[in-house]
Amino acid sequence: MLRAALVFVVAAVGITAILSMGGTAQAATETEAVTTAATSGGTNLLIQNLFNGIVFGLLLALASVGLSLIYGTTGLSNFAHGEMVTFGAMITYFLATPQAVSFPLLPFEFTVNWPFWLAAPAGIAIATALGWVQDKIIWSQLRRRRVAMIQQMIVSIGLSLALVNFIQWWMGGRPVRLVTSIDPRKQYGPISVGNVTLISMVIAIVALLAVAFFLQRTRLGRATRAVSDNPALASASGIKVDSIIRIVWMMAAGLAALGGILLALYQQGIGFDDGTKLLMMMFAAVTLGGLGHPYGALVGSLIIGVVAEVSTVWLPPDLKFATALGILIIVLLVRPQGILGKAERVG
Amino acid sequence: MNDKPVILDADNLIAGYLPGINILNGCSMEVKEGELIGIIGPNGAGKSTFLKALFGLVPVRDGAVTLGGEDITNLRADELVKRGVGFVPQTNNVFPSLTIEENLEMGAYQAHKNYKKQLARIGDLFPVLIQRKNQRAGSLSGGERQMVAMARALMMDPHVLLLDEPSAGLSPARQDETFVRTREINKTGVTVIMVEQNARRCLQICDRGYVLDQGTSAYTASGQDLLKDPKVIELYLGTLGA
Repeated sequence: MLRAALVFVVAAVGITAILSMGGTAQAATETEAVTTAATSGGTNLLIQNLFNGIVFGLLLALASVGLSLIYGTTGLSNFAHGEMVTFGAMITYFLATPQAVSFPLLPFEFTVNWPFWLAAPAGIAIATALGWVQDKIIWSQLRRRRVAMIQQMIVSIGLSLALVNFIQWWMGGRPVRLVTSIDPRKQYGPISVGNVTLISMVIAIVALLAVAFFLQRTRLGRATRAVSDNPALASASGIKVDSIIRIVWMMAAGLAALGGILLALYQQGIGFDDGTKLLMMMFAAVTLGGLGHPYGALVGSLIIGVVAEVSTVWLPPDLKFATALGILIIVLLVRPQGILGKAERVG
Repeated sequence: MNDKPVILDADNLIAGYLPGINILNGCSMEVKEGELIGIIGPNGAGKSTFLKALFGLVPVRDGAVTLGGEDITNLRADELVKRGVGFVPQTNNVFPSLTIEENLEMGAYQAHKNYKKQLARIGDLFPVLIQRKNQRAGSLSGGERQMVAMARALMMDPHVLLLDEPSAGLSPARQDETFVRTREINKTGVTVIMVEQNARRCLQICDRGYVLDQGTSAYTASGQDLLKDPKVIELYLGTLGA
């Protein structure tokens, strides 16, 4: 039985690797530059990649936590979450770039050119508002009409396609850079890292701690966990479930936008479909950590990030995401409820 | 008891889960303040559906529910909690990933200013819950969960408490404990409406019983009278253990 499981895992990893080679080629090229910089700086490759993995894992966690919260409170696997990551970065670019910008169908161009420190919070605020609008006009209506979860998931796939095409139409097909200045790398022992990346890490850690504080230490956060556990009982306890879900959508969109902005800074640019490409990693992280468990999303993201980056020490960079997904399969075979998911007592 | 005002009145309720299929076909009930009402009936009679319809969890298609004279038909559950109605479901009645204390806190979500006071009051009724307040509710047994569920529903200090088969799945000793506790809660002035499969035990402690059959309230009488009613004995109580 165990041997059969191992054969299955190896086969699955192999097939995934072959299939993902084409899709991850672009991402691999981007990270190859980082890897090359690390080695050329004379640093220890393993430690450098471990560090890169933690950075990527933290940024992935910012995006995944919202996906996990939405799944936990509504049961929806939101396929349009990747576009919220892209949208956050793109709207920040729109507000910060000194170049002329425009809206689709508008016949004139204009310049916003806000400083980045203003554009980024404004971008997050706009994305948070978009989370509110999404829930108000789409998801709450579907919930009220008791539309089944599979149908809602199909709606989210449609929304994902619509948003990615809209972003491409709006911003074009080429990647954009949120800041034009170069972030020079500094050497800290065996690790080579730029100041912007370090600041991004700090921001990500603070944001994730804030989410944890919200969920554990605030009444609203505990109510969010209650809705995640059992929405009907939460309502019977006097909690306005729809209001909690609305807050979760806003939080998820805001965190995804923050993740998108930091990711755009980390990889020095973002394309119209970068969030879409990240979605599979987000789902993997959320599943690995334990579906609907917000801390599981953090743990899962860090594992995915570290495995993906560290694997490039021994394996071709093209295989890095396939390796991470292979780990997902192995962990789920051993622990089906995910790393932090808890098997509940029945009766 | 008869001179007390009516607190909850259900008039000719027609309700069901799926469009076009009614589970309740004209259920009526009148509950006076401070009463302990038992609802009994065969499987599929619509007992739990009736309770859920009172609490807004099943859409009422016709008829009306009033609470203290105010129409509460199809009000959302959280609105009913605000008006002093508590509900304890039969299954999935705790938040498994939350601790016992967090479960109780959720019970007082709308009255968090009184949370500490209510927690102390519930601690007198269920001291074991306070001793184990940091334990995750998902790790509790069925009986312990039932206790947490009842305590959670009492955190808002409700006037009316709806219990859906509180003894289901419990050992005979735990069942007795649950019925005694229900009576104690009722004696503090809370009106209790309880759906039960254990009809004999339910009728022994309740002031009045309603017998439901095929989605209608067939008849009502005091718990003691129903226990002696030959038809109730034949259809619902059985002759064993009488």
